[in-house]
Amino acid sequence: MNKFSAEDALRPRFTAAHKALALRGFVIAGVALLAAAVGFGFVAGVAQGVGYAAAVGGVVLAGLTGACCLLAAFVIRFAALVGRVLLTLALPIFLGGVVGIVVLAWIPALLYERVDGIKADHPGAAVSVAQFEAALTGNAAAARGPAYLAALALWPLQFQLTRDVLAVVGVVGFVSLVAMFGIWWERKVAGRMQSRLGPMRVGGWHGWAQSLADGLKLLQKEDIFIAGADRALFRLAPYVAFIPAMCLFIALPFSAAWVARDLEVGLIFIFAMLGVGVLGVLLAGWASNNKWSMLGAMREACQMISYEIPLGFALLVPIMTLGTLRLTAIGEAQSGGFHTWLAFANPFTFIAAIVFFVATLASCKRAPFDLPEAESELVAGYLTEYSGFRWALFFFAEYAEMFAVAALASVLFFGAWYSPLPASWGAAWADGPLWQRAVHGVLYSGPIWFVLKGFFFFFVQLWLRWTLPRIRLDQVMYACVQVLLPLTMVALLGNTLWLWLVRPGAWLAVAVNLILTAIGGLTVVAMAAIVLYGYLNRRRLVGTMAVDPLPGG
Amino acid sequence: MGWIQNRFEENLVITSLDWALNWAKSNSLWPMTFGLACCAIEMMATGAARFDIDRFGAGAFRATPRQSDLMIVAGTVTYKMTSRIRRLYNQMPEPKYVIAMGACTIGGGPYFKYGYHVVKGVDLIVPVDVYVPGCPPRPEALLEGLMRLQDKIRQGTIARPAQPA
Amino acid sequence: MRGKRVSGAERNRQGMEDKLLQGRPDVLVEVDRDRAGGGLRTEEMLVNMGPQHPSTHGVLRLMLRIDGELVLECTPHIGYLHRCAEKIGENVTPVQFIPITDRLDYLAAMINNHGYSLAVEKLLGMEVPERGRYIRVIMSELNRIASHLVSFGAYGLDMGAFTPFVYAFREREYILDLFEQVCGARLTYSYLSIGGATQDLPEGFPERLAQFLDYFEPKIAEYNNLLSFNQIFVKRTAGVGVISAADAIAWGLTGPCLRGSGVKWDLRKCVPYDIYDRFEFDIPVGLPGGVGGAPREAVVGDSWNRYYVRILEMQQSVRILRQCLQQLPSGDFRAKVPRVLKLPAKETYLEVEGGRGQVGYLVVGDGKAVPRRVKIRGPSFCNLSIASHVCRNVLIADIAAIIGSIDVVMGEVDR
Repeated sequence: MNKFSAEDALRPRFTAAHKALALRGFVIAGVALLAAAVGFGFVAGVAQGVGYAAAVGGVVLAGLTGACCLLAAFVIRFAALVGRVLLTLALPIFLGGVVGIVVLAWIPALLYERVDGIKADHPGAAVSVAQFEAALTGNAAAARGPAYLAALALWPLQFQLTRDVLAVVGVVGFVSLVAMFGIWWERKVAGRMQSRLGPMRVGGWHGWAQSLADGLKLLQKEDIFIAGADRALFRLAPYVAFIPAMCLFIALPFSAAWVARDLEVGLIFIFAMLGVGVLGVLLAGWASNNKWSMLGAMREACQMISYEIPLGFALLVPIMTLGTLRLTAIGEAQSGGFHTWLAFANPFTFIAAIVFFVATLASCKRAPFDLPEAESELVAGYLTEYSGFRWALFFFAEYAEMFAVAALASVLFFGAWYSPLPASWGAAWADGPLWQRAVHGVLYSGPIWFVLKGFFFFFVQLWLRWTLPRIRLDQVMYACVQVLLPLTMVALLGNTLWLWLVRPGAWLAVAVNLILTAIGGLTVVAMAAIVLYGYLNRRRLVGTMAVDPLPGG
Repeated sequence: MGWIQNRFEENLVITSLDWALNWAKSNSLWPMTFGLACCAIEMMATGAARFDIDRFGAGAFRATPRQSDLMIVAGTVTYKMTSRIRRLYNQMPEPKYVIAMGACTIGGGPYFKYGYHVVKGVDLIVPVDVYVPGCPPRPEALLEGLMRLQDKIRQGTIARPAQPA
Repeated sequence: MRGKRVSGAERNRQGMEDKLLQGRPDVLVEVDRDRAGGGLRTEEMLVNMGPQHPSTHGVLRLMLRIDGELVLECTPHIGYLHRCAEKIGENVTPVQFIPITDRLDYLAAMINNHGYSLAVEKLLGMEVPERGRYIRVIMSELNRIASHLVSFGAYGLDMGAFTPFVYAFREREYILDLFEQVCGARLTYSYLSIGGATQDLPEGFPERLAQFLDYFEPKIAEYNNLLSFNQIFVKRTAGVGVISAADAIAWGLTGPCLRGSGVKWDLRKCVPYDIYDRFEFDIPVGLPGGVGGAPREAVVGDSWNRYYVRILEMQQSVRILRQCLQQLPSGDFRAKVPRVLKLPAKETYLEVEGGRGQVGYLVVGDGKAVPRRVKIRGPSFCNLSIASHVCRNVLIADIAAIIGSIDVVMGEVDR
């Protein structure tokens, strides 16, 4: 029976001998590798051709590995200091990460520009490394200088394949970051709305590492297989739910040129990906070997599928208004400022925007439409038999989808990546030096607005979840078929007639646009005012009934 | 983690890995809603605004045992209920922990002497990690129990226990 | 349901009635659930809900016979929390039994203490001093507010509104602070004992209680805005699980369940015990749609009304508490109770208005210090008995609404 104390538990338990051995080992390895790198460098100075490339490769490899070994030695020696620094740095990276990844993604964008510029000078076949180096240094002769390495790095970027791979990596990274941030943020927002704090301890400042801990814990869970369940389908279902949620982001444009694939049929692709998620639900329910799980899955799938009808109709409205399925084109059409946003164009697009938002809420199974999920708590549902990381994938997929539909709402109806200011005002700075372009991105048009708007609608989804009760399933169906569907049809028909009868510059169009813009603007201003009022009066509103401390306390 | 356990002896890598894994496990304990009687009300109060168990990462109360790793047995355990408790415990995936909350789950509580239908302690049914005394224990006591459990988790290791000399 | 012949009048399923058959009880209809055609066969399933619940019902097990989404029959199974209270009553003295009465209806523990003390005092013919009686009423009413707050919060949680639950508990924390100042405990107090209260109120308690009442009254309006008149909540609960007044009386319902069905019966007013006849307060009853602020869809005896009666009762309890504070005398808080209480060879039965209905205590003494028999009438036991009658032909989602509005505490059901 080992007794434990709190101090013992918190101290990392490896002996000093372990530490010393590892330290010595890493230092020796690091020094040796760096020496090898230097040796390779000498060789590179005299070798030619393949020998040169090999020697350079050797320098890079040995140098990097040696540096890593020395870094490991440093970390072991100064573990406490390193930990503190990492925690301090990691937090801004996490918080800013979702926004910061947008900044990080600028680097490939700038590189692509450079590469495209060089490619334009050499039309035709693929540009060779020598040509890159020549373009970088400015002289035609191949000089094998340090520019060679830069050229080597730039050379793969001219191929679409490399760009696609980088885009996928970026998308996957962004989605994971968004999902993790979203999970943490939901718990904090929920806490604050309930006059409590939410996660506070995990990782330091306001529990920012909570999602990380959750994910790592779920990885360690026992892999339970239900007796009699279909093993292949049981394993497959989480991926069928998760992958479409990720694929959504391939077609979502973060900015005019920042889209992994600017599909001609982008909107249809996104709609299709939203629909494939239903398969994941059904598979999960079927594979659980639980007839009640199966029924729960069918009910949930029924809800998701039914709401795709008003969703589709609501999507038709921007398609019809702008005449294109390309998301970048839809976004660019809203570049003229707050009043050109599609939701304020005519009353029917306004209705379509609201219907779209509600339909996506139901499609994502978010409250107030999460009765199938809740009943699954009471009896059983499609996710009941999933544990550990399989369940985490479903969870991730839900949050990724939430952000994706929020971002989609902003792309379609609320100005995409443009700020409320007209982009034409800042057109002069769109092509200037780096700092000018950065300011332009923040003020007028840039991926940061896309991300912020996405998170705004994400916040509205959270807000609704923690305020409203659940709607019963038959009422959900009633709302879909008897309320939303007629509403979308009216919106579609009305939009058609409007586009046909009302000329863009007519006084009616302008007046209605102005009214709707005013409504939209007032809503935003009112929300900001409420938040400010709540913040200034926070103590009085929550209530601090002073109770005297107990005697002795 | 079964495949990695007990294969290596304690060393620098294992203990650092342990630290990370235990950090994740202890900071993300998801309780199963298992309120039986009066202690359930205090457990709900611990999840509510003033005491807020979510600060510790343990605020996501899951209804199904498959997605939870902590079973807080809050309330009197009766003979009729034992099979359910055991079945729910079995359904939880490893690693799983049990907090026995309240005097009834520790040793029968006020029903010890004349309660013919009361099980004298839930550790007769499921293995208990932490006992939280009180009738009912204050939410602060439950939080202390949770923190003790977190300490206990941080002591765990996936390494092979040292061989006796 | 495959091809079952039922009369149109029997089917009271919400929102799924065939409009053509309304008011035509003479027409027998082939109930074919499969309107889309194709001859699908539907099967009835037996489904178990509980005894472990995600919400706060406690260890209640419901066996449901369902057909798709529709519940045909609902049978509650109880006994999972049987803690042998009555057997313990036969083996311990009345003063030792007070903590056990706490744990019957653990949400309104003071009221249970109060009831048992009154029963034993009636048996003994003991007179309780005035201050003790006022303290008891103050504690009982404060506990009634706390109990209704939990019921309100838990009902919101059942319906999926997470936030009112936390707000209710936030208010409850202030009440529990008051209780803690008085007797040191937050949930199971054992404060009100035979002869009065075990300790006097601490210094400054009346001022703090008044402060709390001033803080709490506007909060009720907040709850109404957040939950009671929320369209989604109303749609989920109004018209669901209607219990007629005759049914309620026939099945022995008491408390807010009875009053929600329109029956104006509250022991505190109709059969006043202790000093309740000195206070002025109303008895809220169920409201028909559109009357007194009730939403259009409300029906007397539905879940919404049972819920709303509790909200109104909280307001009435605040009224009683203010009057108590005004009338609170000084003096002894407890009668002189001998060390060993010998119970005379008589029996007495006494009921008080608890958080969930009428809590009754039968105490049979036989000359010794320990009673011969203690029987407890748990109001939730009787209230729960109507569950199988009312949960017919409703949707599964409605089961949560109905059981939540009946508001059972399993400690009382199983004792």
